[in-house]
Amino acid sequence: MNQPCLKLTAYFGERQRVVTDDVRRPGFLADAMLDLFDTRELATSVMLRGITSFGPRHVLRTDESLTLSEDPPVAIAAVDVESKISGLVNDVVAMTGRGLVTLERARLVRGGDVLDDTNGDAIKLTVYVGRQERIAGLPAYRAVCDLLYRRGFSGGAVFLGVDGTAHGERYRARFFSRNVNVPLMIVSIGTAAQVSAAVAELSAAASNPLLTVERVRLCKRSGELFASPHRLPDKDDRQRPLWQKLTVHTSEATGHGGVPIHRALVHRLLDSGLAHGATVLRGIWGFHGDHKPHGDKLFQLIRRTPVVTTIIDTPEWIARSFDIVDELTSEHGLVTSEMLPAVVSITGPDSEGWTDLARHDY
Amino acid sequence: MVLWIGVLLAGGAGAVLRFLVDGAIGRRAARSRHFVGLPFGTLVVNVSGAALLGLLSSLALNRHVALLADTAFVGSYTTFSTWMLETQRLGEERQVRSAVANIVVSIVLGIGAALFGQWIAGRL
Repeated sequence: MNQPCLKLTAYFGERQRVVTDDVRRPGFLADAMLDLFDTRELATSVMLRGITSFGPRHVLRTDESLTLSEDPPVAIAAVDVESKISGLVNDVVAMTGRGLVTLERARLVRGGDVLDDTNGDAIKLTVYVGRQERIAGLPAYRAVCDLLYRRGFSGGAVFLGVDGTAHGERYRARFFSRNVNVPLMIVSIGTAAQVSAAVAELSAAASNPLLTVERVRLCKRSGELFASPHRLPDKDDRQRPLWQKLTVHTSEATGHGGVPIHRALVHRLLDSGLAHGATVLRGIWGFHGDHKPHGDKLFQLIRRTPVVTTIIDTPEWIARSFDIVDELTSEHGLVTSEMLPAVVSITGPDSEGWTDLARHDY
Repeated sequence: MVLWIGVLLAGGAGAVLRFLVDGAIGRRAARSRHFVGLPFGTLVVNVSGAALLGLLSSLALNRHVALLADTAFVGSYTTFSTWMLETQRLGEERQVRSAVANIVVSIVLGIGAALFGQWIAGRL
């Protein structure tokens, strides 16, 4: 049951309202988007709140100041079979005033699936589980991280969803609730063999977990450079634009020049003027490199939670941004790159809608 | 009763002004590479509030006006809790130098600003 699917990700500011013809006060965009995913009964979708970001207008969002943290960035990821996702992309674009919508090819996998080696590239395994789900007496996300760490994965990070859908049902986090089924997203990087083994083990251990795999290139780990991102052409052979994504896994407390890497990275990219945008998400648990999975403790002065910086740009600009990433991750961090077959950057009312997924073999 | 409504309005106005000043300055400072992490918006709000309070407290205002201007307006314009929270957040990310700087700079400039306010009031 190795099924092709699409992953849609939308990035925008949390306080943004939905674009609608309704004359009354429009609701929040994030809410409207999840309502849409709920009515279309998507396999899974999860809304994540970020800590800092900037977009094509180069307006910085950050939680460093209390006043500014009132409008944080959000990323909403939605996964289902191709027909379902492509049927709602234009609705998502139409309801968004400003933001970025990306589409990625992925595969939904189950136990017993054997994954092919992807031209020497690595595989990103994403696991979606409920917040309070448990596996063998441990919270599911910790059990999953332990398993991935034991299997030798290069890294993994758990992101807490604040809203989402799972198996077609809507689950929104509430203050006075155990939030059992509100989805969590666990992103991890491993080899084809490691992922195949982990998928088999996870399918046996968890009840109905949602697992997707995507091809990624492992660029750097703990300061060691394995490969630069693929040098992709700007367009595929049918003139459809190609985009690329760089993902930088670091820990909140690992710094470069006295500043945490993710903060320095966002500032450097913003300063360079050569990046369309970046978003930083803070995880609750995770690992990369050789240290064991870690997260927040009850009593602590320094947080050791994982943070993930995502940079989405055209291939030409990614190559330049990678130089900055490379410099700042000289000692710490896990860096991966991927191809994005479709990106819609919504900067105003007359933004172009989605046309077609690019195809490029590399 | 009128006084309490006055406290409500002056306090509200102070809070709105803080939100605007803090937001405008914070947004600009956050973009500057040299000040990564330092919560400038809060610093400006607290230092300017200290100067204003120094000035107001040295003027012989009647006690109702003093309540409205000092406690209600400046009290809600400045913020101790945000200063503390933002310092703690810097510590969490191991930006110890910035955290210490945030405390020391705020105290030095804050006391200086209060003295400056009093000095101005003395010359009026």
